[in-house]
Amino acid sequence: MMCEECREKSAAVFLKLAVNNKVREMHLCPACAAKKGMGFGLETGAFNISDIVGNMSGYFKDFLPAEKKTLRCGACGYKYSEFKESGRLGCPECYAGFDAQLTELMARIHGATQHTGRTYLRGSALKLSKSEIARRVEELRAALADAVVKEDFESAARLRDSLKQLEGRDGRH
Amino acid sequence: MDVIKSFRPEVAWANARGAWPEMIFSTRVRFARNLEGFPFPNRAEPRQLSEIRRLVLAAAKHTGLFPRGHYFKIEALGQLEKRFLVERHHVSYALAAAVLPAGAAIANGEDLSVMINEEDHLRLQCLTSGFAIEEAFKTALKLDEALGRELPFAFGSRFGFLTACPTNTGTGMRVSCLAHLPALSRLGQMPRVLENLSHLGVTARGIYGEGTYVLGDFYQIANATCLGRSEEEFCQNIDRVIRNLIRQEIAARETLVKGGLRLKTEDAVFRALGLLKHARTLSYEEFMHNISLARMGAAMGWDIGMDFSTFNQVTLLMQPAHIQAAAGRELSPAERDAYRADCLRKRLA
Repeated sequence: MMCEECREKSAAVFLKLAVNNKVREMHLCPACAAKKGMGFGLETGAFNISDIVGNMSGYFKDFLPAEKKTLRCGACGYKYSEFKESGRLGCPECYAGFDAQLTELMARIHGATQHTGRTYLRGSALKLSKSEIARRVEELRAALADAVVKEDFESAARLRDSLKQLEGRDGRH
Repeated sequence: MDVIKSFRPEVAWANARGAWPEMIFSTRVRFARNLEGFPFPNRAEPRQLSEIRRLVLAAAKHTGLFPRGHYFKIEALGQLEKRFLVERHHVSYALAAAVLPAGAAIANGEDLSVMINEEDHLRLQCLTSGFAIEEAFKTALKLDEALGRELPFAFGSRFGFLTACPTNTGTGMRVSCLAHLPALSRLGQMPRVLENLSHLGVTARGIYGEGTYVLGDFYQIANATCLGRSEEEFCQNIDRVIRNLIRQEIAARETLVKGGLRLKTEDAVFRALGLLKHARTLSYEEFMHNISLARMGAAMGWDIGMDFSTFNQVTLLMQPAHIQAAAGRELSPAERDAYRADCLRKRLA
C-alpha cells in the first residue's frame, strides 16, 4: 500500500484514530509519519492531533453566533473574537460577558442551557439535605474522636472546623 | 529516575478487580474545576499559574486524601518522567507539554490525582479497576468536595461549574471506561458501534485520551456532554452504554468462534501468544496488537496461562517509559524493543 501523504513510498505506519466517533485509518511511510510528529505513536512522544483532523477551533467557529461589534469580557478584557479562534474562554467572568452567545453555544453542544447537577456554595460546600448533613456530622464526630485518640491535633482541628460549619448550616435551615 | 522510583511498578487500579475485568480495564471519573478570581490557564500569567499551583497543592495536602502522596512541578520534570506519568494516566499529553508552571498531586495508592493548570486550573480524577462507575464517582466526589471546601471554585447557578472550554461546563464531569473491544474490531464493526455511540451522547477516544490513537483495541468511552443532567444521570447513561457495549462485544466474540471462523480466530490468538513469548524484539505497537488477541483468547476461556491482573499489569509495564524505568536508564527505541521482548519472555515463562 502506498503512503497517503507522499504517494511515493510504501506505507509502513498504520494508525487508527478515533475522532468524533469515527475510526479514521491512516497509512503513512515512516518519513511522512515522522514529519507529522507521529512516528510509531508513543515511541516518538506527543503528537499534534490538529495536523490530522484540522483545528478544533473550526468546530466552534462553524456554529458560533456572529458578534455585532467588538465584544469583550468586562473582567479580563478577552475578546469574543479571540474565543472564536481559540475555543477557550479567558476567565470565569467571560461566561457573564458573552452570556447570550454562550447560551446559544451551550444549547448546541450540550442540548441544554441550565445546569441541573450539584450546587456549589463558596466556602463550605454543596447544598445538602438534612439527612446528608446528619450523616456527615456523624462521620466527622467519629473521625474527630479518632484523631484525638491518636493525638493528631492538626487533623482534629480541621475536623472540628468542618463540624462547626456543618452544624451551623443545619441550624440555619 | 528518582521520580519514577518513588512509584511502585504495579498499580491497584490495574489489578482486574471490579465487574467485567476481562473487558473493562478501568473506570475513571474526572471533574474540571477552576478558581474564582484567576484567568483560565491559557490566559494566566506565569506568576498567576505559580500562585494557583501553590494554592491547589496546599489544598490537596490539607484534605488529608493524599497521605504520602506525590507532588510535582511538571515543568521541572524530565521527558522520561513526564511520559511515565502520562502512561500512568495521571497526566495528559497536554499537561506533559507544559512549559509554564503546572503541577500534579497523586495519591500514594494512585487512585486519586489532580492535574494543575492543564486546560483548567484543576482536573481531579479517581481511577478504579474494572467496571466500577459508582465507586469511582463517589470517590472522585469526595475529593471534589474536600477541595471545594478549601478553594473557591468558579460556579454560576445557570451554567454550573465554569470551565475554560464550554464543552466541559456544567457538571465539569467526564465518566469513562477503558474498554477492550477486540472482537468488534476484528469483525469490522467498530465504525458502526462508534457511529451509534454518538447518538447516545457518548464519545470514544484512544487509550491515552483526547486525540490519541487506538492501541490494542482499547477505547475510552465517555459522556460527550456535561450540562443539563445531574452527575448521577450522566453516570447512569454511561453505565447503560457500557453494559450494551459489553453485550455487543460478547456477541461478536461468539461469532468469532462459530463455524469456519473458529480455526482462524484460534490461530490468530495462539500465533499472537507465540510471538509474545518468543520474539526477541517487540515494539510497543506490536506488543499491544498481540496482547489484545491473547487477552481475547483468555476471555474465551482458552489456555493462555495468564490471568487478567497479569494482562493489565503487563499492558502498563510494557509502555515505553515503563520499560526504561525497569531498565533503570534511558534506552534507544531499538534497545527498548529488545528489552521489552526480554522482560515479557521472563514474565510469561
